[in-house]
Amino acid sequence: MTTTDPPVTRTPRLARTAGRAVESPMRRRERRAAFLFLLPDSLGLLVFVALPMVLAIVLGFFSLDGFGHLSFIGVDNYLRMVGDPQFWLSLRITAIYVVVVVPVMFVVSLALALLVKQRFPGVGFVRSALFVPYVISLVVVGLVWQFLLIDKVGVISRALEAVGLGGISVLGSPNTALAAVVVITIWFQMGYYMIIFLAGLQDIPSEFYDAARVDGAGPWQQFRTITIPLLAPTSFFVLLTSSIAVATGGLDLVYALTKGGPASSTTLIVYFIYEQAFLFGEYGYAAAVGSTLLVLLLLWSGLMFAVTRGGRFSNVDD
Amino acid sequence: MASQTAFSRRGLLAGLAAVGAGAALGVVGCARSGAAGPMQFMNFYTPQDQGADPQLIVQAEWFDKAIASWNANHPEQVEPIFVPDYVNPMNPRIATSFAAENGPDIFLLSPGEFLRYFNGGVMLDLKPFMTPDAVADFLPEAIGTRVVGDGIFALPMEVEPLSIYYDIAAFEESGLAEGDLPRTWEQMLDVAERLTTARRSGLVLETSPGYYQNFTFYPWVWQGGGDVIDLRTQRATLTSPSMLAALELFAESITRGVASRTPPASGEIVSGFKQGLAAMWQRGPWSIQEFALQAPEHRYGIIPLPTPPGGQPTTVGGGWAWAVNNRGRNPEAAARFVVESVGSMSRECIDRCADWNGRAKSNMPARASVSAAMEQLPSFTDPARSAVRAQLPSTRGEPRYPPVLYKALSNTIQSVQLAGGDPLAQAQSAQSTIESFLRTYEGAALL
Amino acid sequence: MSTTDTRARTRFTGRTAGLMAVGLVLALLTIAPLAVMILGAFKTETDVVAPELLPTAPTTDNFFYVFTEVPFARYLLNSFVVSAVITVVALWFHSMAAYALARLRFRGREALFMIIFSTMLVSLPVVMVPTFVVVRTLGLVDSYGGLIIPAIFNAFGIFLLRQFYIALPRELEEAALLDGASYWRVYWNVVLPLSRPILSALSVFFFLANWNAFLWPLTITSSPTLRTVQVGIAGFQQQYAGNWNYVLAASTVAALPMLAIFVFFQRQIVESIKTAGFR
Repeated sequence: MTTTDPPVTRTPRLARTAGRAVESPMRRRERRAAFLFLLPDSLGLLVFVALPMVLAIVLGFFSLDGFGHLSFIGVDNYLRMVGDPQFWLSLRITAIYVVVVVPVMFVVSLALALLVKQRFPGVGFVRSALFVPYVISLVVVGLVWQFLLIDKVGVISRALEAVGLGGISVLGSPNTALAAVVVITIWFQMGYYMIIFLAGLQDIPSEFYDAARVDGAGPWQQFRTITIPLLAPTSFFVLLTSSIAVATGGLDLVYALTKGGPASSTTLIVYFIYEQAFLFGEYGYAAAVGSTLLVLLLLWSGLMFAVTRGGRFSNVDD
Repeated sequence: MASQTAFSRRGLLAGLAAVGAGAALGVVGCARSGAAGPMQFMNFYTPQDQGADPQLIVQAEWFDKAIASWNANHPEQVEPIFVPDYVNPMNPRIATSFAAENGPDIFLLSPGEFLRYFNGGVMLDLKPFMTPDAVADFLPEAIGTRVVGDGIFALPMEVEPLSIYYDIAAFEESGLAEGDLPRTWEQMLDVAERLTTARRSGLVLETSPGYYQNFTFYPWVWQGGGDVIDLRTQRATLTSPSMLAALELFAESITRGVASRTPPASGEIVSGFKQGLAAMWQRGPWSIQEFALQAPEHRYGIIPLPTPPGGQPTTVGGGWAWAVNNRGRNPEAAARFVVESVGSMSRECIDRCADWNGRAKSNMPARASVSAAMEQLPSFTDPARSAVRAQLPSTRGEPRYPPVLYKALSNTIQSVQLAGGDPLAQAQSAQSTIESFLRTYEGAALL
Repeated sequence: MSTTDTRARTRFTGRTAGLMAVGLVLALLTIAPLAVMILGAFKTETDVVAPELLPTAPTTDNFFYVFTEVPFARYLLNSFVVSAVITVVALWFHSMAAYALARLRFRGREALFMIIFSTMLVSLPVVMVPTFVVVRTLGLVDSYGGLIIPAIFNAFGIFLLRQFYIALPRELEEAALLDGASYWRVYWNVVLPLSRPILSALSVFFFLANWNAFLWPLTITSSPTLRTVQVGIAGFQQQYAGNWNYVLAASTVAALPMLAIFVFFQRQIVESIKTAGFR
């Protein structure tokens, strides 16, 4: 390649007008390279993600019993969903789960990041300790917490008894079981988001704080006027990824910890879908509910993108 | 791979393209798995690689022997496939393999799941492969729920009646004697209260949602003459007084604090008793073998399920059966394998079944001839087995219900037992769910 | 790690002592469940459900039991091979795709990116059966291929790498292109070396995610020789449910490699995330 044509930053508008009419050999090469670079992942995503996804969406309009009996039933699955109290229950439980976990985890992980950003003796240990639950698998997490919460003899049950809350069966009572799933989720994910926040915090030039201090701003004012605005891209990333992760996650944990019980209190929507498919053999119905969840998440992501247009997700680099 | 500095991009991409095209075609075609390879027998016993537990070894060896005996004499080979967490109906392994038209040739099936597979049309009628005397040999409480019309769609290998197992040391510590063993529901809760300590649960009734909990719940309903589905009219009867009484029993055991909300020792009765975590436990005879191998010295006893006022002693008998996938590689050979293994009148087969129930496991037999053969085994005089055997006349086979019905009942039990739900309101809600389901139900009879 | 925070020094003052106290309490609370797991793994069967936190008669029998009675070493090896292969191949593919999405200009780039991004929303239960069908069609059921290949393709990695490349200064690449290097050379000799920090961070996360995967391996494999450590431990728990000493020992064994990797690479992980532009 010996051309002197400067391939340097071009505005997208220029790129667009340069389009098809006079495509330089240079541009063609770029396009071909892009094609080849993208091919392996695109093919893989097509075969192992997009194809199953399309199949799942198509299945939503069929009745499929898990033994190959397939019949087109139009929107019957969706009508059934609207009238299914168990669906609404699981949607409500998921909403509670997301609405509690996402903000609490956001605040907790940001607070922890602010803490471990400071210098104090042992900060390295503290930072590692807060992150470490994230490296444990949900199967093991489920087992360990089951052990901690065994009625009467578990460590936590004993601790509760010591403070006068004896006789509580955390995993055996509907409200506390969901609370336990919430706490465990935050416990093992907070370290991950803490590290992301920490990285965001450390990107904020310290001169800003110095200047604010000179102006006589207290810590809270500094936090409000510097940290929060400059942390916006990080916050956006954390909110988007954690809400998606929480809304579609928790299946391994519930499978290992409560099996959706007691009294359906931990039946998250992913568990409901899973149950419809693998317990009832209602694959069409499960696919319809899954597609609905997919649409809800798409709307949510679209909303977040729209609200933060021009942020980190924009590829316009001029 | 990434450390390779040079690679054939074209070759790689061509390969990926071929893979992608193949997948697209295959999904559309959804071809059935070919007739190649040995017949797969999905089970939860063998091949066993987590084999420290003595009873698992014994049971795995029994299956291996049965399979080896067939494989030695027939060209159509059988290969056991161990599925972890098989008894959990949520296990995706079997469901996905059927859904992908790649189901096992032979599989173990509980009554709770029978209709899902039968109504799915994948089960083969085994009766044509059996001799009439073998058909007659199966006990009605064992075979009944596996019969549809004139066909037999699974062969049970055992009957597992539920009883109350109690820890003698716990009774002694609480100042209770043999005369205090409960015969009525009220006595059961009172005794459980005396047995309950800061560490120990007086009574263990199943609390985890699932087929198993429904299974343990049925006899408490039947004792008062009620049922989930009226056998004759095939109508739902969830609001009967005996149904409500059984629901209240489950609820009261929790509200009085005498039964555990989660199973002690993760549901393992031997550890639960040994570690002093439970005193009475509704349980099946498989635990006799667990005690014999894990804690042979531990003192425990077995009594029939206590009854409500005016109720009849009744219990439920579960147990697994062998079934054949009619879309398998060779359904006919698979059926012959199942019949030869557990459903023929040959001496070898009868002895094999007696060995299963009398030695490898501690269950009641599903066949009259096996029952007779077991009288010759040393285990016959074992007091625990005798106590269970005495309950066989009052045992009814575990019912078969479709998943929707199972789930409606499960929700009712869970809500009343653990979430303070009103028995009547919950039962009515399940009743209407089931009624509307049955209006369009076209599968086999609910028994 | 180097911090841009100016004035605080690692010295005892009232403020740092207070911070340290808060930090240590939170840290200890966080790791307490894992400490209980590890302590429990050294207890006897009766001790494990006794009120004492520390083992009264510490024993390593549980670990011997786990390793001698169950092929745990095999499970660990399977998990390691599967996770390592997925990590290496996935990072390679993703960095190629991300480079193209971030740097190369072609029509439909934004649309393609949004499509790839949207696949992040697909959750396993929705697509498990269709995915199983696809994998079976390819003849990969109950094979390493079935464990590995579907797990490679994941939009999350592409997304993060793309964000990283957008933030990366272009001067080096442009200089190389002006010198006549092909896009492949630029990718291989310029972009990949510059990606080292994010690749090492992502490799830890990919390895972690795949080491910890449970439902897919449970669904796609049945032969014992292919069992991964998470499926192995679930089966183990099912059979030894009442013996928490064994279950906790097995859990410890399953968690230990990840803990070790973390302790060994933690500095690098944190540094990497910091420079990687995850934000």
